[in-house]
Amino acid sequence: MNKLTEVKKTNRFMDWINYRYPWDAFMKKHLTEYYAPRNFNFWYYFGSFSLLVLVSQFISGIWLAMEYAPLGDTAFASVQHIMREVPFGWLIRFVHTTGASAFFIVVYLHMYRGLIYGSYKKPRELLWLFGMSIYLILLLEAFTGYVLPWGQMSYWGATVITSFASAIPYVGKTMLIWLRGDYSVSGVSLHRFFSLHVIAIPLLLVILVFLHLVALHHVGSNNPDGIEIKDKKGPDGIPKDGIPFHPYYTVKDLVGIAVFLLVFFTVVFFIPKLGGLFIEKDNFILANPFQTPEHIAPVWYMTPFYAILRAIPNKLMGLLAMAAAIGLMFVLPWLDRSKVRSVRYKGFWTKLAIVVFVICFIGLGYMGLQPVTPLRAFLAQVYTVGYFAFFLLMPVYTSLEKTKPLPEQLTE
Amino acid sequence: MMRNLLIIFLLLFSSVLKAEGVPAIALAQVSIDPSDVASIKRGGKFFATNCMSCHTMVYLRYDKIAQEAGVLYDKMPINVASWPFGIRPPDLSLEADVRGDDWIYTYLHSFYQDSTRPTGVNNLLVPNTAMPDIVAPYQGTQVRVTEKGSSALFHAYQWYDLLVLDKQGTMTPEQFDAAMTDLVNFLHYAASPYEQQQHRIGWWVLGFMLILLVMFYFLKKEYWKDVKKHKK
Repeated sequence: MNKLTEVKKTNRFMDWINYRYPWDAFMKKHLTEYYAPRNFNFWYYFGSFSLLVLVSQFISGIWLAMEYAPLGDTAFASVQHIMREVPFGWLIRFVHTTGASAFFIVVYLHMYRGLIYGSYKKPRELLWLFGMSIYLILLLEAFTGYVLPWGQMSYWGATVITSFASAIPYVGKTMLIWLRGDYSVSGVSLHRFFSLHVIAIPLLLVILVFLHLVALHHVGSNNPDGIEIKDKKGPDGIPKDGIPFHPYYTVKDLVGIAVFLLVFFTVVFFIPKLGGLFIEKDNFILANPFQTPEHIAPVWYMTPFYAILRAIPNKLMGLLAMAAAIGLMFVLPWLDRSKVRSVRYKGFWTKLAIVVFVICFIGLGYMGLQPVTPLRAFLAQVYTVGYFAFFLLMPVYTSLEKTKPLPEQLTE
Repeated sequence: MMRNLLIIFLLLFSSVLKAEGVPAIALAQVSIDPSDVASIKRGGKFFATNCMSCHTMVYLRYDKIAQEAGVLYDKMPINVASWPFGIRPPDLSLEADVRGDDWIYTYLHSFYQDSTRPTGVNNLLVPNTAMPDIVAPYQGTQVRVTEKGSSALFHAYQWYDLLVLDKQGTMTPEQFDAAMTDLVNFLHYAASPYEQQQHRIGWWVLGFMLILLVMFYFLKKEYWKDVKKHKK
């Protein structure tokens, strides 16, 4: 900051590097001179947690792939080999299975942050779209990964989910065979899902995360007040309410990461199956094409959409509704007509809508886990209506409601 | 396409078709000590002498504790061509993860005489089970009564509310409970042999993270001192 008093350090190694590669310039632009609003709260931890879990999934995944054998008649046994004979194999696998669920927990909370503080609004629409693409690709990554242990839930989950393709008119049946590589889900499907899970989708994820971060650093971070810190700069050209990301937010994130890892490792070391929520009980039985499990449910992070699918009696319409439920999240930046970003300055109707949305989303998630009863089917329909109303009525309530005046600078 | 849709539909709602007439029987709680290797080995020995004539436990092939208890891969019924009633008894390596400890304990207690069944016995937890009552020599034979105690007024029935001992076997009820607890302990071990190591390391990891958290907290506090001055 005070460049005049800065001591001229000579580091011949770094000079050599910097002459050939913009190491210092990069560090300055993205860390030490990247100014973030100083009022980040609890909700702002989940971005860095996502990155941490991504790295953890990569590392544990690489080691799992060393012992895992992706063939129909070896997959299940090779997982047991990892759990029993590979030194610390159980640890690597539980880090990976817990990581899958943790990924969705932190991503959902990260998305919720964007939702309440209007982080998707101009100029952050592309940032939001990259983020949503990450979420969509992550669902595919989780699905392909869940097939790999080749238990009953892997098999029947894959059967149900790939069979969605058959509901597409005219080309459905051909697409189904093309997806599975066989007339029913088989070892061939397993082998291709392995390839997608370890190469194709992770590669896409890394590219999208890169684009997400480039977009973020181009427009700068939003904040709980939803005002632009770049609008109020000091004489030095630095935003008055901004602080360098490093060291301030790096050390703050370290505290968050320690808390996150405490919870994460509690699950990994003491309750990795989480009563069938993180690893379903039926998945400890080898895949059997001749025996359908009593109750097929996807893992918890997919159940809100699964519940929407089941809530609609017509299958094709159900699939369209499920696609629309995810699609509407993509177009959120264009549904919100409010003059302000943050829920702090929005009116009563937005606050009510967010409460309704959260109840409906969690309600749908719960319904998707449970076997269907007439009462549950009805509740799922109510929640589905609530879910869609939140998005479809947004242009109306955000443009009509009275908003509070925005402060000049951050309030805390 | 219609056929596929019908299959999807059936899959999605298959849980509605759950077997009817199943008595809602509560699972008895078993208290096992997974760190008690002697108990695990006693259970393993019981498994090797009684269960292993039909059930395999293939994933314990290289497990030392199981081998010491006599659960040997070479002795398992791996290549049996035909089974009575055409039902192959399941491998039990992961049964404790699939069913849970309490379920296995309750199941093994819930056999009773039923002359309508080809095996001569039935089970409260799994009605019309194909498994014969192999614990009868130890437990003795039980008969089903409509209602014994009134404890089930507000709860589901426990197995002992519906069954009475007809003829005691070689073990007293207490000895039998202890033998079944050992067996469940062995099955629990079989499903997660890593568990003791997992818990032991877990405490160290959590302790380490706690220390790290305290250090990071003070580090953050130190750095953020000057941010307060930034205000206004």
